[in-house]
Amino acid sequence: MLNLASRDDVGQSDTDLMTLIETIEALSATRTISEVAEVVRKAARKVSGADGIAFVLRDQGQCWYFDEDAIGPLWKGKRFPLTACISGWAMLNRQTVIIPDIYKDDRIPHDAYRPTFVKGLVMTPVRMEDPVAAIGAYWAEEHVPAPEIVKKLQVIARATASALESGRLHDSLVDARHHGTFLLQELDHRVKNTLAIVQSISRQTLRASHSPEAFAEVFENRILALSQAHELLTRRAWGRAQLHDILDKALAPFSTDLTDRFDIVGPAVTFSAETSVSVHMTLHELAVNAAKHGALSTPEGRVVLRWTVDEAATPPMLTLAWREVDGPPVAGKPERRGFGVSMIERGLARDLGGKATLDFTPQGVVYTLRAPLSQRMSLAA
Amino acid sequence: MKSSKVMIVEDEALVAMMVEDMLGDLGCEIAGSFGAVDDALAWLGSGDPTPDGAVLDVNIGGEMVFPVAEALREQGVPFVFATGYGDLPRKGFESIEVIAKPINVGALRKAVDGFQSGEEQDA
Repeated sequence: MLNLASRDDVGQSDTDLMTLIETIEALSATRTISEVAEVVRKAARKVSGADGIAFVLRDQGQCWYFDEDAIGPLWKGKRFPLTACISGWAMLNRQTVIIPDIYKDDRIPHDAYRPTFVKGLVMTPVRMEDPVAAIGAYWAEEHVPAPEIVKKLQVIARATASALESGRLHDSLVDARHHGTFLLQELDHRVKNTLAIVQSISRQTLRASHSPEAFAEVFENRILALSQAHELLTRRAWGRAQLHDILDKALAPFSTDLTDRFDIVGPAVTFSAETSVSVHMTLHELAVNAAKHGALSTPEGRVVLRWTVDEAATPPMLTLAWREVDGPPVAGKPERRGFGVSMIERGLARDLGGKATLDFTPQGVVYTLRAPLSQRMSLAA
Repeated sequence: MKSSKVMIVEDEALVAMMVEDMLGDLGCEIAGSFGAVDDALAWLGSGDPTPDGAVLDVNIGGEMVFPVAEALREQGVPFVFATGYGDLPRKGFESIEVIAKPINVGALRKAVDGFQSGEEQDA
Protein backbone atom coordinates (compact mmCIF):
# COMPACT_ATOMS: atom_id res chain seq x y z
CA MET A 1 0.00 0.00 0.00
CA LEU A 2 2.68 2.36 1.07
CA ASN A 3 4.77 1.56 -1.99
CA LEU A 4 1.81 1.92 -4.24
CA ALA A 5 0.92 5.27 -2.67
CA SER A 6 4.45 6.58 -3.03
CA ARG A 7 4.55 5.40 -6.65
CA ASP A 8 1.35 7.33 -7.20
CA ASP A 9 2.95 10.40 -5.60
CA VAL A 10 5.95 10.06 -7.88
CA GLY A 11 3.60 9.68 -10.84
CA GLN A 12 1.70 12.82 -9.87
CA SER A 13 4.82 14.93 -9.31
CA ASP A 14 6.22 13.69 -12.64
CA THR A 15 3.03 14.79 -14.35
CA ASP A 16 3.20 18.20 -12.65
CA LEU A 17 6.85 18.59 -13.59
CA MET A 18 6.03 17.79 -17.21
CA THR A 19 3.17 20.31 -17.12
CA LEU A 20 5.54 22.96 -15.81
CA ILE A 21 8.15 22.18 -18.47
CA GLU A 22 5.53 22.19 -21.21
CA THR A 23 4.20 25.48 -19.86
CA ILE A 24 7.63 27.07 -19.94
CA GLU A 25 8.16 25.81 -23.49
CA ALA A 26 4.74 27.04 -24.56
CA LEU A 27 5.36 30.44 -22.97
CA SER A 28 8.69 30.81 -24.71
CA ALA A 29 6.90 30.38 -28.06
CA THR A 30 4.32 33.12 -27.36
CA ARG A 31 4.45 36.42 -29.23
CA THR A 32 1.42 38.31 -27.97
CA ILE A 33 -0.11 39.04 -24.61
CA SER A 34 -3.22 37.03 -25.56
CA GLU A 35 -1.11 33.97 -26.32
CA VAL A 36 0.64 34.35 -22.97
CA ALA A 37 -2.71 34.61 -21.16
CA GLU A 38 -4.02 31.54 -22.97
CA VAL A 39 -1.08 29.41 -21.83
CA VAL A 40 -1.02 30.80 -18.28
CA ARG A 41 -4.69 30.38 -17.41
CA LYS A 42 -4.80 26.74 -18.55
CA ALA A 43 -1.45 25.71 -17.03
CA ALA A 44 -2.09 27.45 -13.71
CA ARG A 45 -5.46 25.81 -13.38
CA LYS A 46 -3.99 22.39 -14.16
CA VAL A 47 -1.07 22.52 -11.71
CA SER A 48 -3.01 24.19 -8.88
CA GLY A 49 -6.23 22.21 -9.16
CA ALA A 50 -8.00 25.50 -8.40
CA ASP A 51 -11.63 26.18 -9.36
CA GLY A 52 -10.60 29.29 -11.26
CA ILE A 53 -7.59 31.24 -12.55
CA ALA A 54 -7.39 34.93 -13.42
CA PHE A 55 -4.56 36.54 -15.38
CA VAL A 56 -4.29 40.17 -14.35
CA LEU A 57 -2.21 42.86 -16.09
CA ARG A 58 -0.93 45.99 -14.43
CA ASP A 59 -2.05 48.88 -16.60
CA GLN A 60 -0.66 52.06 -15.09
CA GLY A 61 -2.67 52.56 -11.87
CA GLN A 62 -5.11 49.75 -12.57
CA CYS A 63 -5.48 46.01 -12.39
CA TRP A 64 -6.85 44.75 -15.67
CA TYR A 65 -8.50 41.32 -15.38
CA PHE A 66 -7.30 40.26 -18.80
CA ASP A 67 -8.26 36.61 -19.01
CA GLU A 68 -9.68 33.79 -16.87
CA ASP A 69 -10.36 30.06 -16.72
CA ALA A 70 -12.92 29.19 -14.04
CA ILE A 71 -16.04 27.23 -13.08
CA GLY A 72 -18.01 30.50 -13.00
CA PRO A 73 -17.47 34.06 -14.23
CA LEU A 74 -14.88 36.19 -12.44
CA TRP A 75 -13.96 39.69 -13.62
CA LYS A 76 -12.65 39.22 -17.16
CA GLY A 77 -12.32 42.55 -18.99
CA LYS A 78 -12.84 44.64 -15.84
CA ARG A 79 -10.41 47.13 -14.37
CA PHE A 80 -10.00 48.13 -10.73
CA PRO A 81 -7.63 50.55 -9.03
CA LEU A 82 -4.42 48.86 -7.85
CA THR A 83 -5.29 49.92 -4.33
CA ALA A 84 -8.77 48.39 -4.43
CA CYS A 85 -8.13 44.75 -5.23
CA ILE A 86 -5.97 41.92 -4.00
CA SER A 87 -4.01 41.55 -7.28
CA GLY A 88 -3.05 45.19 -6.84
CA TRP A 89 -2.02 44.53 -3.27
CA ALA A 90 0.19 41.59 -4.38
CA MET A 91 1.82 43.67 -7.15
CA LEU A 92 2.35 46.75 -4.96
CA ASN A 93 3.75 44.65 -2.08
CA ARG A 94 5.74 42.35 -4.39
CA GLN A 95 4.65 39.22 -2.61
CA THR A 96 2.46 36.20 -3.00
CA VAL A 97 -0.64 36.39 -0.84
CA ILE A 98 -2.64 33.41 0.45
CA ILE A 99 -6.17 34.04 1.75
CA PRO A 100 -8.03 30.90 2.94
CA ASP A 101 -11.31 32.81 3.53
CA ILE A 102 -11.72 36.10 1.72
CA TYR A 103 -14.63 37.21 3.88
CA LYS A 104 -12.32 37.26 6.90
CA ASP A 105 -9.73 39.49 5.17
CA ASP A 106 -10.07 43.30 5.05
CA ARG A 107 -7.85 43.66 1.98
CA ILE A 108 -10.59 42.05 -0.13
CA PRO A 109 -13.34 44.24 -1.67
CA HIS A 110 -16.10 41.87 -0.57
CA ASP A 111 -18.80 43.40 -2.77
CA ALA A 112 -16.83 42.55 -5.90
CA TYR A 113 -16.56 38.92 -4.78
CA ARG A 114 -20.12 38.32 -3.69
CA PRO A 115 -21.44 37.58 -7.23
CA THR A 116 -18.63 35.03 -7.74
CA PHE A 117 -18.00 31.52 -6.43
CA VAL A 118 -14.75 32.53 -4.76
CA LYS A 119 -14.04 31.72 -1.11
CA GLY A 120 -10.29 31.18 -0.91
CA LEU A 121 -7.41 32.40 -3.11
CA VAL A 122 -3.71 32.65 -3.87
CA MET A 123 -2.39 35.67 -5.77
CA THR A 124 1.19 35.78 -7.04
CA PRO A 125 2.85 38.66 -8.89
CA VAL A 126 4.61 38.24 -12.24
CA ARG A 127 8.16 39.63 -12.16
CA MET A 128 8.64 39.93 -8.47
CA GLU A 129 11.13 42.85 -8.49
CA ASP A 130 8.80 45.10 -10.50
CA PRO A 131 5.46 43.37 -11.05
CA VAL A 132 3.75 43.80 -14.42
CA ALA A 133 1.00 41.21 -13.93
CA ALA A 134 -0.41 38.74 -11.42
CA ILE A 135 -1.84 35.24 -11.48
CA GLY A 136 -4.78 34.51 -9.18
CA ALA A 137 -5.97 30.99 -8.23
CA TYR A 138 -9.43 30.73 -6.65
CA TRP A 139 -11.27 28.02 -4.73
CA ALA A 140 -15.00 27.75 -4.07
CA GLU A 141 -14.36 26.48 -0.53
CA GLU A 142 -12.21 27.82 2.26
CA HIS A 143 -8.79 26.53 1.24
CA VAL A 144 -5.16 26.55 2.30
CA PRO A 145 -3.12 25.45 -0.70
CA ALA A 146 -0.15 23.13 -0.14
CA PRO A 147 3.22 24.95 -0.24
CA GLU A 148 4.29 23.07 -3.39
CA ILE A 149 1.15 24.29 -5.20
CA VAL A 150 2.06 27.88 -4.34
CA LYS A 151 5.62 27.18 -5.48
CA LYS A 152 4.38 25.85 -8.83
CA LEU A 153 2.22 28.93 -9.37
CA GLN A 154 5.29 31.04 -8.66
CA VAL A 155 7.29 29.04 -11.23
CA ILE A 156 4.59 29.76 -13.82
CA ALA A 157 4.68 33.44 -12.81
CA ARG A 158 8.45 33.55 -13.38
CA ALA A 159 8.14 31.88 -16.78
CA THR A 160 5.37 34.36 -17.61
CA ALA A 161 7.64 37.26 -16.70
CA SER A 162 10.31 36.13 -19.15
CA ALA A 163 7.68 35.46 -21.83
CA LEU A 164 6.35 39.01 -21.45
CA GLU A 165 9.91 40.35 -21.66
CA SER A 166 10.75 38.41 -24.81
CA GLY A 167 7.40 39.37 -26.33
CA ARG A 168 8.26 43.01 -25.72
CA LEU A 169 11.74 42.43 -27.11
CA HIS A 170 10.21 40.78 -30.16
CA ASP A 171 7.85 43.73 -30.66
CA SER A 172 10.68 46.24 -30.37
CA LEU A 173 12.80 44.21 -32.80
CA VAL A 174 9.95 44.15 -35.33
CA ASP A 175 9.51 47.91 -34.88
CA ALA A 176 13.22 48.51 -35.31
CA ARG A 177 13.29 46.39 -38.44
CA HIS A 178 10.38 48.31 -40.00
CA HIS A 179 12.03 51.59 -39.08
CA GLY A 180 15.33 50.37 -40.55
CA THR A 181 13.63 49.37 -43.80
CA PHE A 182 11.95 52.77 -44.04
CA LEU A 183 15.25 54.56 -43.47
CA LEU A 184 16.93 52.44 -46.13
CA GLN A 185 14.22 53.28 -48.67
CA GLU A 186 14.52 56.97 -47.86
CA LEU A 187 18.29 56.74 -48.15
CA ASP A 188 17.95 54.98 -51.50
CA HIS A 189 15.72 57.79 -52.76
CA ARG A 190 18.07 60.53 -51.60
CA VAL A 191 21.15 58.81 -52.98
CA LYS A 192 19.47 58.40 -56.37
CA ASN A 193 18.35 62.01 -56.41
CA THR A 194 21.83 63.16 -55.49
CA LEU A 195 23.32 60.92 -58.19
CA ALA A 196 20.92 62.51 -60.67
CA ILE A 197 22.30 65.92 -59.61
CA VAL A 198 25.87 64.62 -60.05
CA GLN A 199 24.85 63.25 -63.45
CA SER A 200 23.52 66.67 -64.39
CA ILE A 201 26.66 68.45 -63.22
CA SER A 202 29.00 66.04 -65.02
CA ARG A 203 27.05 66.16 -68.26
CA GLN A 204 26.82 69.93 -68.38
CA THR A 205 30.35 70.52 -67.18
CA LEU A 206 31.63 68.20 -69.89
CA ARG A 207 29.69 70.14 -72.52
CA ALA A 208 31.50 73.38 -71.59
CA SER A 209 35.00 71.91 -71.15
CA HIS A 210 37.76 72.17 -73.76
CA SER A 211 40.01 69.54 -72.18
CA PRO A 212 39.91 66.70 -69.69
CA GLU A 213 42.00 68.83 -67.30
CA ALA A 214 39.56 71.72 -67.49
CA PHE A 215 36.69 69.32 -66.94
CA ALA A 216 38.34 67.73 -63.92
CA GLU A 217 38.99 71.01 -62.16
CA VAL A 218 35.53 72.49 -62.61
CA PHE A 219 33.73 69.21 -62.01
CA GLU A 220 35.62 68.46 -58.81
CA ASN A 221 34.93 71.93 -57.42
CA ARG A 222 31.25 71.52 -58.16
CA ILE A 223 31.16 68.10 -56.50
CA LEU A 224 32.94 69.55 -53.46
CA ALA A 225 30.35 72.33 -53.28
CA LEU A 226 27.56 69.75 -53.51
CA SER A 227 29.23 67.73 -50.78
CA GLN A 228 29.38 70.76 -48.51
CA ALA A 229 25.74 71.52 -49.18
CA HIS A 230 24.94 67.99 -48.02
CA GLU A 231 27.11 68.33 -44.96
CA LEU A 232 24.96 71.27 -43.89
CA LEU A 233 21.81 69.24 -44.51
CA THR A 234 23.06 66.26 -42.54
CA ARG A 235 24.01 68.49 -39.63
CA ARG A 236 20.43 69.78 -39.60
CA ALA A 237 18.95 66.25 -39.92
CA TRP A 238 17.77 67.14 -43.44
CA GLY A 239 15.82 70.05 -41.98
CA ARG A 240 15.89 73.73 -42.93
CA ALA A 241 19.15 75.60 -43.47
CA GLN A 242 19.88 79.26 -42.68
CA LEU A 243 21.04 81.49 -45.52
CA HIS A 244 23.86 82.79 -43.31
CA ASP A 245 25.12 79.25 -42.70
CA ILE A 246 24.93 78.39 -46.42
CA LEU A 247 26.89 81.55 -47.24
CA ASP A 248 29.57 80.68 -44.69
CA LYS A 249 30.04 77.23 -46.24
CA ALA A 250 29.64 78.10 -49.91
CA LEU A 251 31.95 81.13 -49.84
CA ALA A 252 34.61 79.73 -47.48
CA PRO A 253 36.77 78.33 -50.33
CA PHE A 254 37.01 81.83 -51.87
CA SER A 255 38.30 83.83 -48.92
CA THR A 256 40.28 83.02 -45.80
CA ASP A 257 38.45 85.78 -43.98
CA LEU A 258 34.89 86.12 -45.19
CA THR A 259 34.35 89.66 -43.89
CA ASP A 260 37.45 90.73 -45.85
CA ARG A 261 35.92 90.07 -49.26
CA PHE A 262 32.21 89.82 -48.58
CA ASP A 263 29.90 92.45 -47.14
CA ILE A 264 26.80 90.53 -46.11
CA VAL A 265 23.64 92.05 -44.61
CA GLY A 266 20.16 90.53 -44.50
CA PRO A 267 17.52 89.12 -42.17
CA ALA A 268 17.58 85.45 -41.12
CA VAL A 269 16.02 83.43 -43.95
CA THR A 270 15.74 79.63 -44.04
CA PHE A 271 15.42 77.21 -46.96
CA SER A 272 13.97 73.73 -47.23
CA ALA A 273 16.55 70.96 -47.54
CA GLU A 274 16.20 70.55 -51.32
CA THR A 275 16.19 74.28 -52.07
CA SER A 276 19.22 74.89 -49.88
CA VAL A 277 21.23 72.69 -52.27
CA SER A 278 20.26 75.01 -55.15
CA VAL A 279 21.11 78.07 -53.04
CA HIS A 280 24.50 76.59 -52.27
CA MET A 281 25.24 75.68 -55.88
CA THR A 282 24.11 79.09 -57.16
CA LEU A 283 26.36 80.89 -54.66
CA HIS A 284 29.19 78.56 -55.65
CA GLU A 285 28.81 79.44 -59.33
CA LEU A 286 28.61 83.18 -58.59
CA ALA A 287 31.78 82.95 -56.50
CA VAL A 288 33.60 80.85 -59.12
CA ASN A 289 32.80 83.43 -61.80
CA ALA A 290 33.88 86.25 -59.50
CA ALA A 291 37.14 84.45 -58.71
CA LYS A 292 37.85 83.78 -62.37
CA HIS A 293 36.82 87.01 -64.09
CA GLY A 294 35.19 89.29 -61.52
CA ALA A 295 35.76 91.08 -58.25
CA LEU A 296 37.44 88.16 -56.48
CA SER A 297 40.10 87.96 -59.21
CA THR A 298 41.86 91.06 -57.85
CA PRO A 299 43.04 91.86 -54.29
CA GLU A 300 40.79 94.93 -54.04
CA GLY A 301 37.53 93.50 -55.31
CA ARG A 302 34.67 92.72 -52.98
CA VAL A 303 31.16 91.39 -53.11
CA VAL A 304 28.27 93.27 -51.50
CA LEU A 305 25.43 90.93 -50.67
CA ARG A 306 22.12 92.42 -49.53
CA TRP A 307 18.69 90.99 -49.12
CA THR A 308 15.41 92.24 -47.75
CA VAL A 309 11.93 90.82 -47.37
CA ASP A 310 8.92 92.95 -48.22
CA GLU A 311 6.42 91.61 -45.72
CA ALA A 312 3.67 93.98 -46.86
CA ALA A 313 3.49 92.21 -50.24
CA THR A 314 1.19 89.19 -50.74
CA PRO A 315 2.92 86.82 -50.67
CA PRO A 316 5.93 88.49 -48.97
CA MET A 317 8.76 88.97 -51.47
CA LEU A 318 12.47 88.52 -51.06
CA THR A 319 14.86 90.66 -53.04
CA LEU A 320 18.49 89.59 -52.98
CA ALA A 321 21.37 91.28 -54.74
CA TRP A 322 24.95 90.09 -55.25
CA ARG A 323 26.92 93.12 -56.42
CA GLU A 324 30.60 92.93 -57.27
CA VAL A 325 32.57 96.13 -56.60
CA ASP A 326 36.14 97.37 -56.99
CA GLY A 327 36.96 94.55 -59.37
CA PRO A 328 38.38 94.69 -62.87
CA PRO A 329 36.25 96.41 -65.51
CA VAL A 330 33.71 94.05 -67.04
CA ALA A 331 33.77 93.75 -70.82
CA GLY A 332 30.20 92.57 -71.12
CA LYS A 333 28.17 89.41 -71.21
CA PRO A 334 30.24 86.32 -72.05
CA GLU A 335 29.46 84.91 -75.48
CA ARG A 336 28.99 81.35 -74.36
CA ARG A 337 26.27 80.74 -71.83
CA GLY A 338 27.74 77.90 -69.80
CA PHE A 339 26.23 75.72 -67.18
CA GLY A 340 27.34 78.08 -64.38
CA VAL A 341 25.47 81.01 -65.87
CA SER A 342 22.42 78.87 -66.56
CA MET A 343 22.44 77.69 -62.98
CA ILE A 344 22.73 81.27 -61.72
CA GLU A 345 20.02 82.64 -63.98
CA ARG A 346 17.55 79.79 -63.78
CA GLY A 347 18.29 77.33 -60.99
CA LEU A 348 17.30 79.08 -57.84
CA ALA A 349 14.65 81.28 -59.44
CA ARG A 350 13.00 78.17 -60.79
CA ASP A 351 13.09 76.43 -57.41
CA LEU A 352 11.52 79.43 -55.71
CA GLY A 353 9.07 80.44 -58.41
CA GLY A 354 10.79 83.81 -58.82
CA LYS A 355 12.95 85.70 -61.30
CA ALA A 356 16.70 86.15 -61.42
CA THR A 357 18.85 88.38 -63.59
CA LEU A 358 22.57 88.43 -64.16
CA ASP A 359 23.87 91.80 -65.41
CA PHE A 360 27.42 92.42 -66.59
CA THR A 361 27.65 96.13 -65.79
CA PRO A 362 31.00 97.88 -66.39
CA GLN A 363 31.44 98.27 -62.60
CA GLY A 364 30.95 94.58 -61.98
CA VAL A 365 28.55 91.68 -62.13
CA VAL A 366 25.16 92.15 -60.48
CA TYR A 367 22.93 89.18 -59.70
CA THR A 368 19.40 89.96 -58.55
CA LEU A 369 16.83 87.46 -57.32
CA ARG A 370 13.21 88.28 -56.60
CA ALA A 371 11.08 85.44 -55.25
CA PRO A 372 8.02 85.01 -53.04
CA LEU A 373 8.35 83.48 -49.58
CA SER A 374 6.93 79.94 -49.45
CA GLN A 375 7.49 76.64 -47.71
CA ARG A 376 10.79 76.48 -49.61
CA MET A 377 12.02 79.86 -48.38
CA SER A 378 10.80 81.60 -45.24
CA LEU A 379 11.83 84.15 -42.63
CA ALA A 380 13.36 82.43 -39.61
CA ALA A 381 11.03 82.46 -36.62
CA MET B 1 9.84 63.94 -88.22
CA LYS B 2 8.69 67.14 -86.56
CA SER B 3 10.19 67.80 -83.14
CA SER B 4 8.11 67.03 -80.07
CA LYS B 5 7.25 69.76 -77.58
CA VAL B 6 7.85 68.24 -74.18
CA MET B 7 6.72 69.51 -70.78
CA ILE B 8 8.90 68.95 -67.70
CA VAL B 9 7.85 68.99 -64.05
CA GLU B 10 10.88 68.61 -61.76
CA ASP B 11 11.64 70.43 -58.53
CA GLU B 12 15.41 70.00 -58.58
CA ALA B 13 16.70 72.75 -60.84
CA LEU B 14 19.90 70.86 -61.64
CA VAL B 15 18.02 67.74 -62.67
CA ALA B 16 15.54 69.80 -64.69
CA MET B 17 18.42 71.44 -66.56
CA MET B 18 19.79 68.01 -67.41
CA VAL B 19 16.45 66.69 -68.62
CA GLU B 20 16.06 69.81 -70.79
CA ASP B 21 19.56 69.26 -72.12
CA MET B 22 18.91 65.57 -72.86
CA LEU B 23 15.61 66.32 -74.54
CA GLY B 24 17.35 68.96 -76.65
CA ASP B 25 19.88 66.33 -77.74
CA LEU B 26 16.98 64.07 -78.71
CA GLY B 27 15.64 66.79 -80.98
CA CYS B 28 12.80 67.91 -78.72
CA GLU B 29 11.67 71.41 -77.86
CA ILE B 30 10.92 72.32 -74.26
CA ALA B 31 7.26 73.30 -74.15
CA GLY B 32 7.50 74.32 -70.50
CA SER B 33 9.62 73.44 -67.48
CA PHE B 34 8.07 73.76 -64.01
CA GLY B 35 9.36 73.35 -60.49
CA ALA B 36 5.98 73.38 -58.74
CA VAL B 37 2.70 71.50 -59.20
CA ASP B 38 0.63 74.71 -59.10
CA ASP B 39 2.70 76.37 -61.83
CA ALA B 40 2.39 73.30 -64.04
CA LEU B 41 -1.39 73.13 -63.54
CA ALA B 42 -1.80 76.86 -64.19
CA TRP B 43 0.11 76.53 -67.46
CA LEU B 44 -1.90 73.49 -68.58
CA GLY B 45 -5.13 75.34 -67.81
CA SER B 46 -4.07 78.56 -69.57
CA GLY B 47 -4.97 77.46 -73.10
CA ASP B 48 -1.37 77.39 -74.30
CA PRO B 49 -0.74 74.86 -77.04
CA THR B 50 -0.85 71.40 -75.52
CA PRO B 51 2.52 69.65 -75.34
CA ASP B 52 3.18 66.43 -77.25
CA GLY B 53 4.38 64.69 -74.11
CA ALA B 54 5.58 65.23 -70.55
CA VAL B 55 8.29 63.99 -68.17
CA LEU B 56 7.09 64.20 -64.56
CA ASP B 57 9.07 63.87 -61.36
CA VAL B 58 6.75 62.34 -58.76
CA ASN B 59 7.61 64.14 -55.53
CA ILE B 60 7.65 67.88 -56.23
CA GLY B 61 8.97 69.55 -53.09
CA GLY B 62 6.84 67.27 -50.91
CA GLU B 63 3.80 67.51 -53.20
CA MET B 64 2.71 64.64 -55.42
CA VAL B 65 2.64 65.32 -59.15
CA PHE B 66 -0.55 63.28 -59.74
CA PRO B 67 -2.91 66.27 -60.28
CA VAL B 68 -0.69 67.24 -63.24
CA ALA B 69 -0.81 63.65 -64.49
CA GLU B 70 -4.63 63.73 -64.27
CA ALA B 71 -4.78 66.98 -66.22
CA LEU B 72 -2.48 65.57 -68.92
CA ARG B 73 -4.57 62.42 -69.15
CA GLU B 74 -7.71 64.52 -69.62
CA GLN B 75 -6.03 66.44 -72.44
CA GLY B 76 -4.84 63.19 -74.01
CA VAL B 77 -1.16 64.09 -73.59
CA PRO B 78 1.15 61.07 -73.13
CA PHE B 79 3.59 61.26 -70.21
CA VAL B 80 6.18 59.29 -68.22
CA PHE B 81 7.34 59.50 -64.61
CA ALA B 82 10.99 60.05 -63.70
CA THR B 83 11.71 59.25 -60.08
CA GLY B 84 14.26 57.98 -57.60
CA TYR B 85 11.58 56.07 -55.72
CA GLY B 86 11.96 52.47 -56.85
CA ASP B 87 8.47 51.15 -56.30
CA LEU B 88 6.33 54.14 -55.48
CA PRO B 89 2.62 53.26 -55.36
CA ARG B 90 0.91 54.95 -58.29
CA LYS B 91 -2.73 54.04 -57.94
CA GLY B 92 -4.52 54.63 -61.23
CA PHE B 93 -1.22 55.08 -63.06
CA GLU B 94 0.05 51.50 -62.98
CA SER B 95 0.43 51.40 -66.77
CA ILE B 96 2.53 54.57 -66.99
CA GLU B 97 6.21 54.08 -67.77
CA VAL B 98 8.63 54.97 -64.95
CA ILE B 99 12.12 56.20 -65.81
CA ALA B 100 14.60 55.69 -62.95
CA LYS B 101 16.93 58.38 -61.66
CA PRO B 102 19.75 58.92 -62.46
CA ILE B 103 18.30 59.09 -65.96
CA ASN B 104 19.31 56.71 -68.70
CA VAL B 105 19.21 58.65 -71.97
CA GLY B 106 18.13 55.49 -73.79
CA ALA B 107 15.05 55.19 -71.58
CA LEU B 108 14.24 58.85 -72.20
CA ARG B 109 14.63 58.33 -75.96
CA LYS B 110 12.17 55.45 -75.83
CA ALA B 111 9.68 57.67 -74.02
CA VAL B 112 10.11 60.46 -76.58
CA ASP B 113 9.67 58.00 -79.44
CA GLY B 114 6.41 57.05 -77.78
CA PHE B 115 5.34 60.70 -77.72
CA GLN B 116 6.24 61.17 -81.39
CA SER B 117 4.36 58.12 -82.58
CA GLY B 118 1.37 59.59 -80.83
CA GLU B 119 1.09 56.31 -79.01
CA GLU B 120 -1.30 56.43 -76.08
CA GLN B 121 1.09 55.71 -73.19
CA ASP B 122 -1.82 55.41 -70.87
CA ALA B 123 -3.00 52.04 -72.10
